[in-house]
Amino acid sequence: MPAPDKTDRKARTGGASAHTIRLQDRLSAWAQQHQLVAVETLMRLLTRPFGSIMTWLVIAISLTLPGAMWMTLDNLSQLSNRFQASGSMSVYLQPAVADKDAQQLLNQILGTSGVAGANYISAEQALAEFRATSGLGEALDLLPENPLPGVIVVEPELSLPQAEVIALADSLRSERRIDSVELDTAWLDRLHALLALSERIVWVMGALLALGILLVVGNTIRLSIAARVDEIRVTKLVGATNAWVRRPFLYTGLWFGMIGGLVSWILLAVGWALVSGPVADLATLYGSEYRLLPLSAGAALVLLLGAMLLGWLGAWWSVVRHLHQIEP
Amino acid sequence: MPMVRFDGVSKRYPSGKEALSKVNFELERGEFAFLTGHSGAGKSTLLKLMLQMERPSKGHVYVDDDCVDTMKGSQVPYLRRKVGVVFQNHQLLFDRTVYDNVAMPLLIAGYQPAEAARRVRAALDSVGLLGYERRNPIELSGGEQQRVGIARAVVNKPQLLLADEPTGNLDPELSEEIMKLFLRFQQVGVTVLIATHDIALIERMGHRRLILEQGTLHERGAYART
Repeated sequence: MPAPDKTDRKARTGGASAHTIRLQDRLSAWAQQHQLVAVETLMRLLTRPFGSIMTWLVIAISLTLPGAMWMTLDNLSQLSNRFQASGSMSVYLQPAVADKDAQQLLNQILGTSGVAGANYISAEQALAEFRATSGLGEALDLLPENPLPGVIVVEPELSLPQAEVIALADSLRSERRIDSVELDTAWLDRLHALLALSERIVWVMGALLALGILLVVGNTIRLSIAARVDEIRVTKLVGATNAWVRRPFLYTGLWFGMIGGLVSWILLAVGWALVSGPVADLATLYGSEYRLLPLSAGAALVLLLGAMLLGWLGAWWSVVRHLHQIEP
Repeated sequence: MPMVRFDGVSKRYPSGKEALSKVNFELERGEFAFLTGHSGAGKSTLLKLMLQMERPSKGHVYVDDDCVDTMKGSQVPYLRRKVGVVFQNHQLLFDRTVYDNVAMPLLIAGYQPAEAARRVRAALDSVGLLGYERRNPIELSGGEQQRVGIARAVVNKPQLLLADEPTGNLDPELSEEIMKLFLRFQQVGVTVLIATHDIALIERMGHRRLILEQGTLHERGAYART
């Protein structure tokens, strides 16, 4: 029976006394561990980019599409605000109103406060104009009588607020001799409605593309979990908590989002640089000082943070689905 | 209070095979014991029950007075930090150095890097592998790999050390060295349970023997208690 080895190389382990760690040390070790994992996962991505470059690009493109649309809409709504002031209105007279009555009405309108100018176009003038511009002259000859009403074009004062322009139109509508009043700002309202609709479409597209990002990051993380099954088993066996095992994958997702967001910034900047020159030329031809605005700093930040959040969520989703299946 | 207590533990797998039936035993703190039996007799299952890698179908398993089988999942990591485990296939990671393999339990437990470094060196010293820190485990011999596995199992100063066929692939001389290593940990207060079918070695070494035969546990008294 060999006696127990009692050499000088006595084991330095054992004894439960040295087992406690101070809370402060624990906290600072926790923070250090986060830092370590954050740096390690980022370095792993940057030093070996080939495995994940497709994921970055998919994320970047998925972000660039709604980003570009957002930028476009932003510009359009800025542009549409400039048209706010111009709001002439067409006042259509009842067919039975004679020229004399129309002239009287014109003078009455010219006397109204807030009106800068008004111009009467008689039914005959309108018909002559239409005949000249439409090319339907012979067809018009077949009509028993002139189908066009007389029109008074009213120019409100430029300083008149939108609400009072509308009030003016309403007061004209109540006049007996007037058939209808059409505000030429209607097209502006339509543009605004169209912009609102486009914005809604951008959100829907954005949501779909965000879902795409979740799936892409989730799938990439799934693959990296599969590649590290042994490591996960061993760490769990020696007492790793689920949070500890999750951490590197969540950081990887976060970095995917960040890199994708940064690449998307570059793509948007390049796109802006390509388009802004021609837009400026076009604006100059129309005598406008308008210049295409780049993505605002706030929007760019939202894009980046949103991308990081999506990357993190995608990783979380994948980790929750796959990690619990790996037990030692 | 005993370090380990099995209280009427049975384990039946979904296939219907009964791996353990009504196993009762206790391991005192600081005790050294062997667990023997033919392969398939339930040795691995018995060890896994102590780490909640498996749960018993009946009965209860206590480690350090905590009931392992009813323990919440969130508590299991802290149980595993108290228990060092050595496997026949040693479960080392070949994508990192010996140092990183051994340091892993410490980083998980939240040790400061400097303190971890000190403990890793101490653990490697205790298994005779000081100076191997920068090597990759894949370059090492079977016996050396097994000792790295032991260093990792003891680096966190566990109260209980479990080993599943730790000498399975080693020649008799190396096996005996590994066993002596385990004895040294027992001498500093660690409770040690070693599953092995190497009867010749056990006969030479003495100590308490727990024998599993088709899921039932018999006990044979120690030849010589240390």
